Amino acid sequence: MILINLISLFLLYYLKKSAGPQGFPTHLNRYFKYGMIAAATLIVLGILHVPPAILFQLASFALVGAIIYFILHTPELEYQRTLAITPLPIVGVQLLDYLVRTLSPGFHDVIENYFDAAGVFALIWAVTMWLNHRKQMKEVEIERIISKEQERQLRSTAEQKSQLEILVAERTSEILSQKEELQHALDHLRSTQEQLIQQEKLASLGQLTAGIAHEIKNPLNFVNNFSELSVDFLDEISEEMPRIPDSPEKENILDLLENVKSNLVKIRHHGSRADGIVRSMLMHSRGGTGTMEPSDLNALIREYANLAFHGMRANPNPINVDIQLDLDETLPKIKLNSEDFSRVILNLLKNAFDAMRDKIEAQGSEYKAKVIIRTKDLGNRVLVEVEDNGPGVPDEIKDKLLMPFFTTKKGTEGTGLGLSITHDIIKSHEGSLEIQSEADTFTLFKILLPKTIS
Amino acid sequence: MKILVVDDERDVEDLFRQKFRKEIRNQGLELLFAFSGKEALEILESDDSPPVVSVFSDINMPGMSGLEMLGIIKTRFPQLTVNMISAYGDKDNYRKAMSSGAKGFFTKPVDFDSLRKEISEILAS
Repeated sequence: MILINLISLFLLYYLKKSAGPQGFPTHLNRYFKYGMIAAATLIVLGILHVPPAILFQLASFALVGAIIYFILHTPELEYQRTLAITPLPIVGVQLLDYLVRTLSPGFHDVIENYFDAAGVFALIWAVTMWLNHRKQMKEVEIERIISKEQERQLRSTAEQKSQLEILVAERTSEILSQKEELQHALDHLRSTQEQLIQQEKLASLGQLTAGIAHEIKNPLNFVNNFSELSVDFLDEISEEMPRIPDSPEKENILDLLENVKSNLVKIRHHGSRADGIVRSMLMHSRGGTGTMEPSDLNALIREYANLAFHGMRANPNPINVDIQLDLDETLPKIKLNSEDFSRVILNLLKNAFDAMRDKIEAQGSEYKAKVIIRTKDLGNRVLVEVEDNGPGVPDEIKDKLLMPFFTTKKGTEGTGLGLSITHDIIKSHEGSLEIQSEADTFTLFKILLPKTIS
Repeated sequence: MKILVVDDERDVEDLFRQKFRKEIRNQGLELLFAFSGKEALEILESDDSPPVVSVFSDINMPGMSGLEMLGIIKTRFPQLTVNMISAYGDKDNYRKAMSSGAKGFFTKPVDFDSLRKEISEILAS
């Protein structure tokens, strides 16, 4: 009977060991444990010959039967089926031997040799089955390893794929951002090209105007001088007039002379206007005068802001303006043609005053005119800003602002050259001029000057 | 007292004669006119007329420029005062004129008040 229980113990032990890395469910492990305890108990009882022997013997067969049944009917152990039939002949022979011995001991003695032979055959069968089972188990194991390997490869492929996808997405976004940068650069290039064309046009126009100015200047001087002289002569004539006796003719002559004089005054007035335009036009071509010297830009701004303000106050139609200076005191001296650059400040402030005067006339005293001048050190460049809270510059005229002779000022007030000259001067300092504006809110002139000029 | 005015514009003669009418009438001012540098030098070199005391000359003239003429006058007639007249803000010409020995420099359009002052000084001397 001990053999049966050893078989039970072996089966359970083997099953327990055969668990893969994932293990069996806990209830199966529990069954294995209890089965092994039962088998071991039965072995101990068998050795000790504890009665009643019959119960112990039946229990042994029941246990091994239960284990075989358990193997065949548990889904988790399906692959161990061949194991279940391995001990069957041994158990069968033992059971038959036991039954015959119990029921008819005499007959048993007669056929005992047959039982022995059957026992040997059953053992050979069991060993064969056992080896076969081992082989099967190994194949199953290899298959399992192969499938695991495949699964691993599949997983790593999926991982690589997702990594590649991330990489592709990264590259795509990089390319997109590069494309955007390029587009931006292209736009910038285009606008620069347009500006260059515009500047080229302005430059040729500037040369032309300077040429015209030179040609007009001399005849204009004669117009002005002779008209002035004639006014003087008329004054002398009127001094002499009282010595001539009164007569209707004299009255008529005096009347006509008065008209001639007023006409001459008009000629002189408009002549001096034209002279002003010619002077401004010549400013365009006036190259090489004044020198680039390290200058205190803040001091220049203070001086000319003051001058512009008092100049405006002294002229007809003065306005109240709050001028604020927000100057970067850390500004180093920069190379400037002070004489020229002072015109930039004067021109920009004059424009601001004129624009704000229009707004005051339109809106009345509710509106408080204000100009802010800022300077800022930007490392290798210096920023100068002139901002007013005037009526702003409409978009449609923004790009015409720097053209010579373009003016928004009424009648005879503007020559249309102020900003054009301003722009020229800034260009001669290798700087740039930018205009920002919002209707009825502000106009901002931004000047960027390099600290060092080549 | 003779003053020579050099300018290629012929109307300058009328202008000066009218502007200095009083001086010509009352103070013995005599104006001579030349319409080129060459003509001016000819006038200065002709012996049969009383000497010119001062010259007022334009710079931009066809042929000999005012500055060239200034150089020649200063070597041949060092005692002669020469005043130059040129276009607005013409700093280069100003420097050249002053370094070549010009007495004064007037910008166009001529400010006749300062010119009159200059001439009065010459007349008074």
